[in-house]
Amino acid sequence: MNNAQCTTEFCSLCIVHYEMLSLHIRKQFDAFHLELDLDAPSEKITVLFGASGAGKSLTLAAMAGFLAPDAGRIVLGERVLFDAAGGVNLAPQARKIGMVRQDLALFPHLSAAGNIAYGMKGARGDKEKRVRELLALMQLENFGARKPAELSGGQQQRVALARALAIEPDLLLLDEPFSALDLQTRIELRRELKELQQRLKTSMLFVTHDLGEAALLADEMAVIENGRVLQFATPNEILRAPLNTRVAQIVGVKNILPAVVVAANCIRIGARELEADARKFALGAQVQACVRAERVLLVRPDGPSRIHSNTLQGELLDQESDGNDVMLRFRADGARLQPAQPFDLQIDMPVYVYERLNLARERHWLITLKPNVLHLVAE
Amino acid sequence: METDLNPMTTPQALSLPTAVRFHGGRFLFLLFASLLVLFLTLPLVALILRALPLGLDAWLSQDTLDALQLSLVTASLATIISFLIGTPVAYLLARENFRGKTIVDTLIDLPMVLPPSVAGLALLMAFGRRGLLGPSLSAIDITLPFTVAAVVIAETFVAAPFYVRSAKAGFGAVDRKLEQMSELLGVSAFRTFLRVTMPLAAPSLFGGLLMTWARALGEFGATIMFAGNFPGRTQTMPLAIYSGLESNLDTALALSLILVIVSFGILFIVRAISPKGITLG
Repeated sequence: MNNAQCTTEFCSLCIVHYEMLSLHIRKQFDAFHLELDLDAPSEKITVLFGASGAGKSLTLAAMAGFLAPDAGRIVLGERVLFDAAGGVNLAPQARKIGMVRQDLALFPHLSAAGNIAYGMKGARGDKEKRVRELLALMQLENFGARKPAELSGGQQQRVALARALAIEPDLLLLDEPFSALDLQTRIELRRELKELQQRLKTSMLFVTHDLGEAALLADEMAVIENGRVLQFATPNEILRAPLNTRVAQIVGVKNILPAVVVAANCIRIGARELEADARKFALGAQVQACVRAERVLLVRPDGPSRIHSNTLQGELLDQESDGNDVMLRFRADGARLQPAQPFDLQIDMPVYVYERLNLARERHWLITLKPNVLHLVAE
Repeated sequence: METDLNPMTTPQALSLPTAVRFHGGRFLFLLFASLLVLFLTLPLVALILRALPLGLDAWLSQDTLDALQLSLVTASLATIISFLIGTPVAYLLARENFRGKTIVDTLIDLPMVLPPSVAGLALLMAFGRRGLLGPSLSAIDITLPFTVAAVVIAETFVAAPFYVRSAKAGFGAVDRKLEQMSELLGVSAFRTFLRVTMPLAAPSLFGGLLMTWARALGEFGATIMFAGNFPGRTQTMPLAIYSGLESNLDTALALSLILVIVSFGILFIVRAISPKGITLG
């Protein structure tokens, strides 16, 4: 965990330098270019987050050795798995990488115990003991003799995880492992995986297109689009301070407002001057203010007398609810904030808050954008 | 036909109104279908009726037992050889893309449609005394035609495609991802083949072997051309039946009944182990 810096010519986004996995690969497909640079920390969960088609699964295939990149290097700890320049391309068997796929790929003709023991090396008695331990670890004590088809979706997942862990891999790849499961099982397994990782300290690379899952599991998180890493940081950092508007959109920032820097602590959005931290930008610079929909404050017009100066008035245009949250769309009074959109601000809140505020009755509200929710990016 | 509101109609759902529309022709369909079933059954029934009352001496005659033993041995050998040389070909055809794959595929299927007498003649031209390899073989003191080995070769030539075809379908149905997973778990490609691919394709492999065995057991044309018809040496059951027609009809009838029962039983098993049924070509 002491690598001072990245050595490859490709490295442009190395933020973390204590890497376990150093991944720098190039691969040209007919209509897709994979150009991925990632240095993932050891003994942590690193999440690759992005929409389907972003190149996440191709990246995992390259790591597993099923796909040879055109150029680049893959180094896991001390071991070079792939090096185009050096002519190194280890076979999958030699990579010591575990994998759990969404479709699991359990061996249908083997029992749960048989699946777990499949890749184990060593004496028979020793293997049997370790299979029993893994079954216990996964709460599958009584299911070892069952075939995959006789297990529930969640149990199959646990078998797949145990099978991958059984070879004591240097790195565990998880390719959207939970997305085929129902919500309840998914939530359970996420928590179990997190606990398991903290106990076993296995380095994991987890691929998902579910932002909640990514934020929940990730120690570090890479936002991926079009075969590239757009940003690599902790999930908190990415959610709070996306690197640019594209990352902001991908991680679900609903309000991206064009702004001009007026002073080091002041920006102008749609003729209003608001307090914000603009020290990184020159005076007069065109920036975009990213505001998460759940961090905007709504204040009743007849509410408290002392309100923040970053407050504007707005009218509720429409609203919709997914059962947990209500999404409200507001039009600002006076100059528009987002001239390109039919609304100026989207504000999300839990249903119970919506009900407490009696939002349905009132159409005119005060909207407060506190300085710390206004995250400025250049583009 | 009724208009269907659901655009995702399954073929089964569609067949219902179609069947209704043909209701007028249903009687004709049943009539012709019965005729065919009758046509296929009648000769077998006739054979069984003649063969059943046969005395023990027809079943246990030296000719019958010799032919039976030779047939069982040669057909089993041909099946084992087909398994050994057919399995790699079937796997490659199912998994890999290579130049000339279509040609190899067609060549392997060819013996299934080729008249067996042509196959027998071709074998003679290749391995016969004056054939392509004849001089080389006699140089190392090997004579193939008109031996037990020739019977096995003829049967393998004609029957192996049945195994290759079935095995190819079986291997093709094994999910590539399972093999990849096995390799990632540290198991070599060959052991992956033994531990994952073969077990999962086992029903198709077994069905193919049964079909091959049955085909080898019934082989006639290529055998009589390439191996001749020598009782006790190259006279397999079908050949003994052919000879028996002139000399000893009882032996022919007994052997025929055995073949009918064995063939029926094998088709029955093959159908039972493979839900989709293994096509014969």
